[in-house]
Amino acid sequence: MGLEAYVAVSAGLFALGIIAIIVRRNVLYVLMGIEMILNAANINFVAFSHFQGDSLDGRMFAIFTIILAAAEAAVALAIVLNVFHLYDSIKPSDADLLRE
Amino acid sequence: MGRIAPEIVLTLLSMVVLTWDLVTKGRDSRQVGYLSLAGLAIVGYLLIDQWNGLRNAGISAEPTPVFAMMTIDTFGIFFKLFTVGSLAAVMLFVLSDKRERKHGVGEYYFLLLGAGIGIFFMVSTSNLLLLMLGLELLSLASYSLSGFHKSEKRSAEASLKYVIFGGLSAGIMLYGISLLYGLTGTIDLIEMGTGDGTSWPVGLAAQFAYNPAPVAIAIVLIFAGFAYKVSVVPFHFWTPDVYEGAPTPVTTFLAVASKAAGFAVLLRFVGLLFMAEGVDATVAAYGDRIGMLLAIMAAITMTLGNLSALRQASMKRMLAYSSIAHAGYVLMGLAVMTPEGFSAAMYYLGAYYLMNLGAFGFLLYFEGVTGSEEIDSLKGMGWKAPLVSIAMVAFLVSLTGLPPTVGFVGKYLLFVQGIEAGYGWLVIIAALNSVVSLFYYFRIAKALFLSEPAERSVAPQPILTGFLAILAVGTILFGIYTAPLQSWADSGTASLELVNSAK
Repeated sequence: MGLEAYVAVSAGLFALGIIAIIVRRNVLYVLMGIEMILNAANINFVAFSHFQGDSLDGRMFAIFTIILAAAEAAVALAIVLNVFHLYDSIKPSDADLLRE
Repeated sequence: MGRIAPEIVLTLLSMVVLTWDLVTKGRDSRQVGYLSLAGLAIVGYLLIDQWNGLRNAGISAEPTPVFAMMTIDTFGIFFKLFTVGSLAAVMLFVLSDKRERKHGVGEYYFLLLGAGIGIFFMVSTSNLLLLMLGLELLSLASYSLSGFHKSEKRSAEASLKYVIFGGLSAGIMLYGISLLYGLTGTIDLIEMGTGDGTSWPVGLAAQFAYNPAPVAIAIVLIFAGFAYKVSVVPFHFWTPDVYEGAPTPVTTFLAVASKAAGFAVLLRFVGLLFMAEGVDATVAAYGDRIGMLLAIMAAITMTLGNLSALRQASMKRMLAYSSIAHAGYVLMGLAVMTPEGFSAAMYYLGAYYLMNLGAFGFLLYFEGVTGSEEIDSLKGMGWKAPLVSIAMVAFLVSLTGLPPTVGFVGKYLLFVQGIEAGYGWLVIIAALNSVVSLFYYFRIAKALFLSEPAERSVAPQPILTGFLAILAVGTILFGIYTAPLQSWADSGTASLELVNSAK
């Protein structure tokens, strides 16, 4: 299987992530969408690392991205939990004290 | 090892601060604050020492990377000193804010220092991995900080909006980096800029010839991440809400340190890819098109920021829109794509530090007095707290860009560079914007002094007053003696070793 197949999968995953963020009204789906975007980048990194120049930079980057995603999910979920306590909802549209 | 001593000290400091707070069970958070300030003084001393060493060695002394990743140059140290200064100011704000005492504030200092570590790494690397890690460390600390008042609905909402926008733009940026890595075979900006087309890593020049569209997509995606960090249109949506909902010291941090760090990485990214020595002529020519893109973003950003600021009743929200407008001005310096333009942008950031810290300090001062952020609540207060109010007038004059202040010199330098690079239309838009900004900045001065003196008595806040007075003196002094700040900005830009892309 060539590089194109990997890039196509990752582009599809990226698009799905963006769609999830735009369409879904629930914060948890938004966070999942962000994870999908990060994993799309990971597929790219590993695939490019294998097919082009065979440098280890890409694989290293992918490992760090996984850690980043975990750290970000931890902070994001703590924030979502706090919002849920205060607003009894996890829809961003329900938290609307701050606006024009 | 000595060359990353500031980073090591800052990291140790953050751990000591966290442990100290745990051991004393947060009984006296003020001690933690003083400890952090003392630690920052040491970091600042080490940085100034490095700065002087590098300047005496001259630009010809090639800075060798530490661990093949970190470049210790005057450009990075300029922004590190900027960060240390902002962190110290924000900590002073926390210490003098009475309302912060009721929240457990020990972690406040730890998170601020953590964000500082992130900035330290991201401004001193040409390696996209380390840049991304620094950026995320800054972001994660900022998300937690903006939601620091856990029981306040507005603070929680601010952190939710921040984490959603931040996560999205970080993801988009990471995807852009992965594409750029795939195209060039390297994650180092210098290799990307100068690599030739014969073997991996190939460098951007060869890819521009064969794959212009993917390169453009990758660069635009990466810009999305930077644009979010410096709140440039169209990635500015989070700014007013987060700035308004976050605790005021945190807003100050986001508006000053975080924004300057974003500009630092943007300057290095654009500079190394398109303007470094040895960059292919086709890439440099492509850089001019990137410059046009940045110029259009700058024009929209400053116009939208200023027009929205006009209709705000809350001073905090107004300052948020004003900070968007100022991001547009700084972006002018990047758009011209010359070393002189970069230097002007760095000068303006120095000016921005003085005047915006001052404006937010003033906001904090009166939040402590009136408990409100509305501009109307300031009516007649100028007569009750004259020193702070006069200092505020100096900041407002500087924010508008009128002489004899540092903001005027900053704008003047940016305008000169804009005209020289042939962006006359952009300079005209920026000048018109400055006129618009006069209206909303003047509203504060008018509320302070052109109303009946207020009835309310004002409790003295000596530390904050003294700090604002120093900033005000700096705002005016640097506006008259422009040489020091200018030479700092020039030596910062010089260490990037950029060449003037041929026009």
